[in-house]
Amino acid sequence: MLHLLKIDLKKLTSYRTFWIVCGLYFITLAFSTASGMEFLKWIARTFENFGSSLNINRIPLYHFPDVWLNLIFFSGLFKLVLGIMTVISITNEYQYRTLRQNIIDGLSRWEFLCTKILTNFLLSFLSVAMIMVIAFVTGLIYTPAINWNFVFADMEFLIAYFIEIFGFLSFALMLGVLIQKPGLTIILLLLARMLEYIVRENIDEVLPWIIPFLPLESLSNLVPFPFQRYAFQEIRDYLTLSSIAIALGWTLLFNYFSYIKLKFSDI
Amino acid sequence: MLGPNGSGKTTTLGMLMGVVNPTAGSFTWFGNPPTHLIRKKIGAVLEHPIFYPYLSGQKNLELNSMIKECNPANIPKVLELVELTGRKDDKYRTYSLGMKQRLAIASALLNDPTVLILDEPTNGLDPMGIAEIRELIKKIAANGKTIILASHLLDEVQKVCTHFCVLKKGDLVHTGPVSMVGTGAETVEVYADMANFHDLLLTFSGACGINRENGTYNVSLRDGFSSKDLNQFLFEKGVVASHLVTKKKTLEKQFLEILAGS
Repeated sequence: MLHLLKIDLKKLTSYRTFWIVCGLYFITLAFSTASGMEFLKWIARTFENFGSSLNINRIPLYHFPDVWLNLIFFSGLFKLVLGIMTVISITNEYQYRTLRQNIIDGLSRWEFLCTKILTNFLLSFLSVAMIMVIAFVTGLIYTPAINWNFVFADMEFLIAYFIEIFGFLSFALMLGVLIQKPGLTIILLLLARMLEYIVRENIDEVLPWIIPFLPLESLSNLVPFPFQRYAFQEIRDYLTLSSIAIALGWTLLFNYFSYIKLKFSDI
Repeated sequence: MLGPNGSGKTTTLGMLMGVVNPTAGSFTWFGNPPTHLIRKKIGAVLEHPIFYPYLSGQKNLELNSMIKECNPANIPKVLELVELTGRKDDKYRTYSLGMKQRLAIASALLNDPTVLILDEPTNGLDPMGIAEIRELIKKIAANGKTIILASHLLDEVQKVCTHFCVLKKGDLVHTGPVSMVGTGAETVEVYADMANFHDLLLTFSGACGINRENGTYNVSLRDGFSSKDLNQFLFEKGVVASHLVTKKKTLEKQFLEILAGS
C-alpha cells in the first residue's frame, strides 16, 4: 500500500502545479479559518460607523466547543480546490498516456487506481490534521474561560469532515477517469453541485425522501450549516449515522465506478 | 513482426502487455497465464516513448524502477548504454526525438528483462538516429536477450532479426526464419556482348524464365540450379559473360509476395 502511495507522490512531488495548488489551498485554508475574529472586528467597525454597536464577544465563533463545527463547515467549502488538483493529476495520466505506460511497466489497473485513491486519502488526512490544529489553537486563544469538558466536545465532526473531503475527491477522481479531458472535467466538477440542485428542486415535491440520498447532497449533509445558531436557531450539533452511511456508500461507489471504467477500457 | 500500417502489430503487442482487452483468444507468457507481475519482468516500448514531460530522465527512470520493483542501481548502467548520462538531469520534454527513443529503450532495459518488446523503435528518426538505435539493438541482442521487434522497415528487420512473421488485417499469414528468405529459386542477372544471346539462354535447361531488364537478362533458375551452372553452360558454349550477378531474394520482395499471396 505504502509502495503505491510512494509511486504517486514521486510523480507529484516534482510537479510544480501540484505544489502551487496544494500550497495555495493550505495557505488560504489556514489564514481564512484563523482570521474569523478579524472579520468580526471589521463587521463591528462597520456597525460603529452607522452609530450602532455590536458586541463581538457575544458571537462565540472560536469558543470551545463551537469552534470545531464552525471551522469544519467553513473549510469544507475549500474542497473544490483539492478536487481540481485530483482532476489534474488523473487527466494528466490520460493526456501524457503515462497510464498506458504504467500498465505496460507492470502495475495492474487496480493498483494504478489505488495510487490515486491513496493520494486522495493523504490529502484528506492532511486537511483534517490542519483544521484540527487550527481549531485547537484558535480555541485556546479566544475562549475566555476554558472548560476542558467542552474542549473536545464536537470533535467527532472531524470524522465527518474527513469523509466529506475524501468522498468529494473520490467523486473528482471518478469524473476524471470517465471524462479524461481536464477542461471538461473541471467544468463539470464546478457545476456538479448546481446541477444536483436543479434535480433536487424538481423532485422536492414528488419524492422528497430521495434528497438525502443524492451524492453531493449526502456529502454536505455530513456537516450541518452552523452559523444560524448565532441567530437563536437550533442546529444539529451531532453526527447522524444515516448521513455517514450514505456518504460512505457513495464514496465506495465513486471509486468502484472508476475501477469498472478502468478495467474494461482499452488504454 | 511485419505488416502494413494498420495490420494489428501494435494491437497484438498491446494485448500481450495488458493495455488492450482481447475480444477472443488467449496467450501465455513463459508458460504462465499473463498477470501484471509478469509484465514487470518484460521491457516494452509500444509506439512512441511515453514519459512524464516535467520529470527529468533520471526521475522518470527512478519512477519506472519503483513501478517495476527493480533495483534503482541499474539506472546509471542503462543511461550509460544509451549514452544519455550527460542529459539525465534535464527535463524529458527538452529531449530530441532520438533521445526520447533511447530513454525508452533504457527504461525497457531497467529490470534486466529476458524479453524486450520494441515497436517501431526507429520511427521518425534521421538516418544517424536509425543507425544508432540499430547498433543498440544488436548490442542488446548480443547479450542474449530475446527481442520482439515490430516494424514496417523491412531492411531493418533483415539486418537485425533471426525470425519474422507477417500480419495482415489482424491475421498471421506467415512465420519463418529470416535466413530462409534468401533461399529458394534464384535469379541471375547476366549479360554477354554477342548476338542472339537471348536465344542461347533459352537453350539452358536450368532456366524457367528469362526477361530483359535495363540491358541485362534476368534468368530465373529452376530448383537445383545455381549461378555456377549457368556460368559453366555459357563457358561450354564458348561465351564469356561480361556481367553475372546472383540476386538473392530480399525480405522486401518476399514480404510483398506473402501479402499478395494471402
